[in-house]
Amino acid sequence: MKRVVIAAFAAIIMGSAAYADTIKIGVVGPFSGPFALQGKNFKAGIDAYMAMNGTTVGDDTIEVIYRDLPAPDPAQSKALAQELVVKQRVQYLTGFYFTPDAMAVTPILKQANVPLVIMNAATSAIVTKSPFVVRTSFTTWQTSTPIAKVAHDAGVAKVISVVSDYGPGVDAENAFKAAFEKEGGQVVEAIRIPLSTNDFSPIMQRIKDSGAQGVFAFLPSGPTTLGFVKAYSENGLKDAGIKFFAPGDLTQESDLPALGDAALGIQTTFHYAVSHDSPENKAFVEAASKAIGSPAELSFPSVGAFDGMKVIYRMIEATGGEQDAEKAVNAVKGLSWTSPRGPVSIDPESRHITQNIYLREVTKADDGTYYNKEIQTFEKQGDPGLAAAR
Amino acid sequence: MQTFFSIAVDAFAYGMVLFVISIGLSVTMGLMRVVNLAHGAFAMIGGYIASYAAQSLGLGYAAAILLAVFGTVAISIPIERLLYRRIYGAPELTQVLMTIGITFCIIGIANYAFGPTLKTIPLPTALQGSADLGFRSIATHRIFAIVCGLVVAGALWYAIEKTAFGVKLRASVDNASMAAALGVRTEIIYAVSFAVAVGLAAFGGVLGAELLPVEPYYALRYMVTFLVVVSVGGAGSIPGALLACLLLGGIDTTGRYLMPEFGEFFFYLAVIAIICIFPRGLAGRVR
Amino acid sequence: MTEETVAVTARQSRSIGRDLLGIGAIISAAAIGYLLFPDNLALLTRIIAIALLVLSLDLVTGYCGVATLGHAALFGSGAYAAGIISAHYGIADPILMTLAGIVGGAAAGLVCGVIILRAHGLPQLVLSIALIYLFHEFANKASSWTGGSDGLSGISTDPLLGMFEFDLWGQTAYFFGVALLLAVLMLLRVLVRSPFGMLCRGIKEDPLRIIAMGASPKTALIKMYVISGAVAGVGGALNAISTQVVGLDSLSFTLSAESLVMLVLGGGGSLFGALTGTVVFMLFEDYVSAANPFHWLTMVGVLLIAVVLFAPKGLYGTAAGFVACRREKRP
Repeated sequence: MKRVVIAAFAAIIMGSAAYADTIKIGVVGPFSGPFALQGKNFKAGIDAYMAMNGTTVGDDTIEVIYRDLPAPDPAQSKALAQELVVKQRVQYLTGFYFTPDAMAVTPILKQANVPLVIMNAATSAIVTKSPFVVRTSFTTWQTSTPIAKVAHDAGVAKVISVVSDYGPGVDAENAFKAAFEKEGGQVVEAIRIPLSTNDFSPIMQRIKDSGAQGVFAFLPSGPTTLGFVKAYSENGLKDAGIKFFAPGDLTQESDLPALGDAALGIQTTFHYAVSHDSPENKAFVEAASKAIGSPAELSFPSVGAFDGMKVIYRMIEATGGEQDAEKAVNAVKGLSWTSPRGPVSIDPESRHITQNIYLREVTKADDGTYYNKEIQTFEKQGDPGLAAAR
Repeated sequence: MQTFFSIAVDAFAYGMVLFVISIGLSVTMGLMRVVNLAHGAFAMIGGYIASYAAQSLGLGYAAAILLAVFGTVAISIPIERLLYRRIYGAPELTQVLMTIGITFCIIGIANYAFGPTLKTIPLPTALQGSADLGFRSIATHRIFAIVCGLVVAGALWYAIEKTAFGVKLRASVDNASMAAALGVRTEIIYAVSFAVAVGLAAFGGVLGAELLPVEPYYALRYMVTFLVVVSVGGAGSIPGALLACLLLGGIDTTGRYLMPEFGEFFFYLAVIAIICIFPRGLAGRVR
Repeated sequence: MTEETVAVTARQSRSIGRDLLGIGAIISAAAIGYLLFPDNLALLTRIIAIALLVLSLDLVTGYCGVATLGHAALFGSGAYAAGIISAHYGIADPILMTLAGIVGGAAAGLVCGVIILRAHGLPQLVLSIALIYLFHEFANKASSWTGGSDGLSGISTDPLLGMFEFDLWGQTAYFFGVALLLAVLMLLRVLVRSPFGMLCRGIKEDPLRIIAMGASPKTALIKMYVISGAVAGVGGALNAISTQVVGLDSLSFTLSAESLVMLVLGGGGSLFGALTGTVVFMLFEDYVSAANPFHWLTMVGVLLIAVVLFAPKGLYGTAAGFVACRREKRP
């Protein structure tokens, strides 16, 4: 009985793909809740891509189905993915802001015959969990490694690292430490603070007492970052000449108006700045600003989503609308193109995106707004995190 | 020794900010016996109004605070009449359900109206920068928050313990029907205390915005902290709340300085220890 | 006195009838769910897992009057226990994993019970909040065991009874869940009607009188807490088995608060109230969040307010009261 039912389901799924004229893409992301801003950026990137490249591939019409997952919740993530695959019959799964949510979905990809294109989740190991995972965002290792060289070049020998105590924070701490020690520097202390920290004054005291010349920090964007950066300038660390290094999550564009002058001069390394100077980016920012409504809310997840759609469109082209996860993923291995963030390619082995990482400094524009000014480029960076995990 | 003083100053400043934000909740929970989980939502409304007034209307800081306090009270009046009045005296869990529902609605509306980004309230130049204490510097707005906290504590204590209104309030709380029989108009007393509590929430929301930035999820993010502080102090007691804020602020700050990795453990273990020793809170009245 | 006894027996026979009716209702609800949403069984399985958590919360909150906002500690401990024996020790039999969940949940129940029962009312609520944060932080720290904030992955599950595989379509998980729920529900019906269950209700009404009768409220409540932990552990294990991943969210304050909301929504102090609350809340949330992923929270808030205004005893409680009222009016 059970076999029959499964066979029937399988037949429906296969059958629907064969002469489907609508191809569904399921997007799982935080569209409400504390991280709603990032979900909004997913949608802006997707809308921008579809506005610029049309809503059809060949004869097939693309339909995007959104599912909300406000906070990391792997069980709910898996239930949503199952619903999207089994009930909505999506051919592609994408989105995923948080690592645990993406991890939870990887086991079903093979059986579902669905590729997963990750638009954000930044832990290196996700791509190893299933051969059907492609990632168009970045990894924390990828963005945190170059800043170590920047710190060393700035003549800083002793750094204290302060990270939030969760997966990405620990990743950032390890990445920075490995790269900085390779440069010959020393991490004098590595502090992990709880995610729910509100008052950062004691941490600033700790940094002062450690005698470090610079601080490396990684915290989730939003209130935590704001508190940390404000405390950094209010407690006199900025004036004392203690330099601030971080991956670009901390100075994402949507937080800059709130950070204000406190963030001026902070140097971060990241894969994308909204201010990136290229014709591709101009076109993207224009389309995405229109999609998101208020341009000040535009931030890095939008570009991950934009390129994610690029990859999915290529997959649909390659498979001619058939549901064939393996063929689809193979078609984008080694794919290279010019993204709004610069030249990128999908590494055939890891299926993670190879891209330029930029050093940026928070700068005040003539009109009084703040932006990340790109001042140095590290070309064609892969993901050092996978090698480190091995 | 210098480190000790430094931590003590941080702890004092943090504790006073906590006090300003949570004291309104102590009034609703302790004196009105409503488990008001929407307290953070009212603080958030205050923050949004102040931010809007300062950023878009270009008002000064003082004007923004006043507008925030009175605006939030004005918004809360229909909510009190239509919703809260139904749950005075209802079982605690019903109150939890109602106030969580109100919180969800306010979050949703704030998200829709103001978007999910952080909002700031620009400080006047007098409160920007930091003051030198000799052995360290401290942000000026924190000194301002400390002063405000002390003033609020003193005024509330005076109002509840020494004025005729305070006497009526305490009478209504202890025995509403008896107070009504003696000619106290409990409905008005409740409405006024509710307005005061909401006004304090808004005031705290604006004042604490430097530490707890205003965004739609403010209402839920810090709800637990407020609830913990008030209960540890003993709901309804002004000195208790003050003591709890300073104590918990001190433990939190020291823990985060000495062993940041275990900061959370310290805080909550301390909460458990305090409640196990003082099951009614530090200054809880025997009921 | 005799009149009262007669009333009690009448009520008892009526409630046994209602039991059969209830079990029938659940079986048919499960069948209807299966027929209506054959392609969304993952959601239904999740509802069952959460329903077990809410039932377990009902035991301590609805029946014993303990206020807690930290009940997910029991659920999460069960989930992690089941997940860890599979991911680290290779014990992948679903029945053994469920047993591990029961043990894990019961152990967490003992710890929580001993601490939470030291205070009453608001301080008790805060104790439970502190506990759930400690559990959460502990699981985050012990990342070599729990996977930390990345979640515990790598859980594999053998086919149930060696025959039915846990697959993408989730039929096995669903029927396994329904079977677990029915078994738990029948045991609980017996429990709440037993002298021990009555004792617990008595403690909720008047602890002083119970002491005067010579019983110890504390021991009884701790026992109830352990039982409640076992029930929540079943839910946690079901969650771990069906999704093959356990995240820190299963030990979160949010989940605790949500489960309390579901209980009050349905009506505490009755097993069917707990079930009704869970099903209504989860289906409503699923529906509105799919309909409008961006602004659904407001709708959930409106639902909660509406329930307090129009059904103050909870959905099931108010409905049951309405039926009882009509019955009494009849001669």
